[in-house]
Amino acid sequence: MTAPAPAASGHPAFDGNGFDPARAEGAGLADTRRHLWTAIRLGWQVESNWTDPLLFFIYTVAKPVASLLLLVFMVQIVGGTGAAGEAIRTFVVLGSALWAMLMAGIAGPAWSVLDDRERYRMLKYLYVSPATFLLVLVGRGVSKLAVGAMGTIVALLFAVVVLGLRVDLAAVNWPMLALTLLLGLPPILALGVGLAAICLQTRQESWSYPEAFAGALFLVSGVVFPLSILPAPVQVIGLINPVTWWVAGVRGAILPSGSSSIGGAGSLWASVTRTLVPDGATTIAVLLLTGTVSTLAAIVLFRVSERRARERGLLDLTTGS
Amino acid sequence: MSTLFPTRETTADPRTDADWTGRRAFETNLRALVGRAYPRVRGMGREPSWVFFEILLPFLGTSAFVLVYRALQAPEAYVGFVVLGGAMSAFWLNVVWMMAGQLYWEKSQGNLELYFAAPMSLMAVLLGMAVGGLIMSGTRSLAILLISMAVFGVQFHLTDWALAVPVFLLTMSALYGLGMMLASLFLLWGREAFHLTNLAIEPVYFISGLNFPVARLGALGAVAIATVPFAVGLDAMRQLAFPGMPGLAGTPPPQIEALILVVMTVVFLVASQRLIRIIERMARSRGSLSIRWQ
Repeated sequence: MTAPAPAASGHPAFDGNGFDPARAEGAGLADTRRHLWTAIRLGWQVESNWTDPLLFFIYTVAKPVASLLLLVFMVQIVGGTGAAGEAIRTFVVLGSALWAMLMAGIAGPAWSVLDDRERYRMLKYLYVSPATFLLVLVGRGVSKLAVGAMGTIVALLFAVVVLGLRVDLAAVNWPMLALTLLLGLPPILALGVGLAAICLQTRQESWSYPEAFAGALFLVSGVVFPLSILPAPVQVIGLINPVTWWVAGVRGAILPSGSSSIGGAGSLWASVTRTLVPDGATTIAVLLLTGTVSTLAAIVLFRVSERRARERGLLDLTTGS
Repeated sequence: MSTLFPTRETTADPRTDADWTGRRAFETNLRALVGRAYPRVRGMGREPSWVFFEILLPFLGTSAFVLVYRALQAPEAYVGFVVLGGAMSAFWLNVVWMMAGQLYWEKSQGNLELYFAAPMSLMAVLLGMAVGGLIMSGTRSLAILLISMAVFGVQFHLTDWALAVPVFLLTMSALYGLGMMLASLFLLWGREAFHLTNLAIEPVYFISGLNFPVARLGALGAVAIATVPFAVGLDAMRQLAFPGMPGLAGTPPPQIEALILVVMTVVFLVASQRLIRIIERMARSRGSLSIRWQ
């Protein structure tokens, strides 16, 4: 007695020997693009579909505007007046506004791990979906980054309209701004993915971890003060950190005549390179270099964490505190 | 198990058995309080990453603001203001993340139904969360203070301990009372809870003068002193820790601020008790309030 021949599925990949390994491996770039886009859309829906657009907008911009005001008042109160005060205020305002976007990009992947594991309990289902988990996290990070970018834009508009920040649009180095923004996105998301890798391992709900990590990064990235006031070993951490170069690049592009957060008299940068501040090309080159290294490091960290999480059953382990 | 859940004598009549004495109800609520505080306190020892993320990194975040003042060559007292603000912010973060949003998280995790079904007061659960959270945040706050004193050489000139201790305790009572009240509200507001939690951080920091004396905000600062326990508590602590600092002028003296905190504590606790009864009733009548993802 012989087994009946399988019925033809009508799909060329399955007819014949019945299994086509290529289908399990995905269709390459097209599939990757589709998965990423789905993850971005999913992230956007999770972020925004619970309320009406106006309320969502208010929630999105209140945080960066308040952060901006907190710093501006600090400058104002200690006598930041006159031309020097104006320069410091501009420096602080730009750094603080950019921070909203940065913070969102860093926190996005980590919060999506925590949301999906602890609250929605969907992490294991996302994990076994056809899209690679890394791509899902990157997509969620991109949508969060987009929300953060809204906050940055509104904070900048607020600074111009209410706080009197002066930006000469004709003087803005638009090509450098576009290039810096573009080159900065992968390392920002990579930091978020690295943090997500850590949150995969932590047994307690780690909601505050991204904020704490970003707070520490705030110290070493030259966001609101130049790196030169930090001790030399801490300046090294700042200089190998892509966020520092991203912030410096964007700031330099928007205000070409403004102060740089990197370099300056007595700084580590000046003593090593014998130049006072890095020029635009150097900023872009170092951003590219540090960004590539940190992205690769984040991927390695994520792979290690992912394997450990699978081995120890951490993907669907919910905790509570 | 037998120690945690002692067996009780039962009577033949279920109605008599269900009629608890005041002492039995109190003991049960006390056990619920300790039980809810337990995972927060015990969890500190079980999760080593907590020390790094909850103590070291927040200290670095506070350091960033210290360095802003140092870069601006501000008077040294402002460094002290930042450090005290950073230490007190640990409590506020705990209140918004682990009190206000907690019932909503519990609902998402499916625990809330168990809370409503268990023979205990939800106030005991909220108090347990507050006690556990207070211990967690107290550790972080103390660590930030001690490390900052060592690294930045901050000196506190606290002389009136007799007032400082009650002011601190009243600040905690008002803060956690507010957290208990918000826990019920956030549960009613559903998915907005997460965004409200986020919204309650930086904007509250700003109107409370986290890194500068709240008096410098003028009318906005006055409103904050009258309504936000974090603002009034932080200002009172600053006045006591840095007596006579000119930057702190313009707000009521700490004795008056202590009275404001007393009023806030009473209002928040009464409101939280009322609100918890309302949501308990809604949970039973609607049947959807305590169910996940509803």
